[in-house]
Amino acid sequence: MHYVQVLILGVLLGGVYALMASGLTLLFGVMRVVNLSHAAFVVLAAFFSYYLFQGWGVDPLLSMLAALPLFFLLGVALYRLLFPRIEGSPKFPEMTVLLTFGLAFILEGLMSYFFTGIFRTVNTSYAREAIVLGRLFIPTGQFYALLASALLLIGLWLFLKFTRLGYGVRATMQNRDAAQIVGVDVRRVSTIAFGIGMAVAGAAGALVSFIFPFFPSRHWQWIAILLSLIVLGGLGSLKGAIIGAVGLAVISSFVSDTIGPVWAPITFFGVLFIVLLIRPHGLFGKKVRI
Amino acid sequence: MTGTPSPATAAPESGGRPTGAVRWTVLWAVTAAVVILPFFRGLDSYNYVLQLATVIFMWIAMTSSWNILGGYAGYISLGHNVFYGAGGYFSGMLLLEFGWSPFATALLSGLVAMGLGVVAGLITYRTRGPSFIISTIALLLVVTLLMDNWSYLGGSNGLSLPLVPLDVTWIKVPFYYAMLAVAAGAVILGYRVAHSKFGLALRAIAADEVKAEVSGINTRRYKLMAFALSAFFPGVAGALWGYSIAYLRPIIFLIIAVAARMVLMAIVGGRGTVAGPVIGAVLIVAIDETALTTFGGSELNLVITGALMVLMLLFFPGGIVGTLRNKKWLPSWLDWD
Repeated sequence: MHYVQVLILGVLLGGVYALMASGLTLLFGVMRVVNLSHAAFVVLAAFFSYYLFQGWGVDPLLSMLAALPLFFLLGVALYRLLFPRIEGSPKFPEMTVLLTFGLAFILEGLMSYFFTGIFRTVNTSYAREAIVLGRLFIPTGQFYALLASALLLIGLWLFLKFTRLGYGVRATMQNRDAAQIVGVDVRRVSTIAFGIGMAVAGAAGALVSFIFPFFPSRHWQWIAILLSLIVLGGLGSLKGAIIGAVGLAVISSFVSDTIGPVWAPITFFGVLFIVLLIRPHGLFGKKVRI
Repeated sequence: MTGTPSPATAAPESGGRPTGAVRWTVLWAVTAAVVILPFFRGLDSYNYVLQLATVIFMWIAMTSSWNILGGYAGYISLGHNVFYGAGGYFSGMLLLEFGWSPFATALLSGLVAMGLGVVAGLITYRTRGPSFIISTIALLLVVTLLMDNWSYLGGSNGLSLPLVPLDVTWIKVPFYYAMLAVAAGAVILGYRVAHSKFGLALRAIAADEVKAEVSGINTRRYKLMAFALSAFFPGVAGALWGYSIAYLRPIIFLIIAVAARMVLMAIVGGRGTVAGPVIGAVLIVAIDETALTTFGGSELNLVITGALMVLMLLFFPGGIVGTLRNKKWLPSWLDWD
């Protein structure tokens, strides 16, 4: 029974990781951009939800709905501002890593300056409750976060699967040049993919705000975990990211239970190294040269 | 063009020697100034000047080393301070356990860092581009996590080291010269790599790894060698730095901002050039000092780091040296390639 409990906690954790990772892997799939500032935007959104809650008592789940369009626009603006300049560069993927690395520092510095570095969390009523099922319990906050993540991921999937724009995004992910030849406006698709990636980060931030304590420099730990997940799943594979997230979160939850919570993050990095050694393109990734 | 050489074609040849002479004059003048600086004991805030110079030397050593892997070979490591930390802890523990001075064991720490570099290289060499960068970040976080929880090494609270047994007015001098030697070693190593077949192979790997492999370059071996070489001087620098601040703590050596600093300095100065890391290190330390005295807070330092990195990448991706060279404005005394 104890292990079922650990499993439940792992799955709950994995849901939110999956949401955070989906934006990151989508961006890589469409544009070959590894966005190192992704988790910094998650933290920014967490602050957004925190101040809405402190100031006006807005529920983080509502803030999430507000964060979606706001962060979408932020993503589109950032894309327009940063990427056209380096698009022709022969070292584009590396350049984007360095560029977003710099961006992450700017965000972290600004957040530390304006919001200070102390631990925060949004204390909603449900963040401290649990649903009790016999001898098992499900923390209500994490349960809501999982539900919201699942809904958003289903929405993302429906968008990719059934809309015209979604076709364009998937075509670009499969083969950028070929997509361009058959008439996909690759640049527009990239802009929108960046916006969606950021919107997802925004939504994830609102969810994170009531399930994890956060502070500006926390994003390094998260980005490393997210990158491990998407490397495991195969860079650019949405399915891989979700399976990787839930799988690793469950494993880390068992590690945390048996060895100790401080070692839980080792799971992610350890698995990352093993994957790099035996299958560098990940579980569901294509063998692409990058 | 078979006639007598026109003045235009003859000019570079006759101009070659004087510019070389200027370069060596400037280099010798700087070297001499740096070597005799500690003799001016009447200087205002003597210890501060020496400390600042030591910090600059340290960053020159670190960035020049990073440049071998990140500049020449094009493999960007965002976890290079792992080797810096390894050096600091290794020499620090030898001091605590056996009383051996880090001045004596610093080179040994460099070798330990090199060994770690080979291990890190073996884990990560199968990846390239973004995956490689990701794996270096993961490496850094794994090591940080280990050090934060390894109670023998003080965990996250760290360890205090005994101070150098010297009078306080002299305490900065040995570190100054030691770090100067490390910086000189790293720059000379960078120069030697840039001018060797090995460096050529690294540049070929950076340009196109598959083509490099096809033309007979053992890319795996060269990449491992580059990783090992670029780990050596950060290890030595870490050993000296740990002793000079008499304190070992993960948050000093292993935060990602330290790695970011190396990357930033290389980008600002010019990745893949010999002079770039030196210029980058001097400039960034100067900016840091100014920012620290005017704004005080370290949060804004992060903003400056990030903003400089973004602006340089967007507008001057070649860094100062690369951009000046493209425009043919690079003064000869800065052209060490």
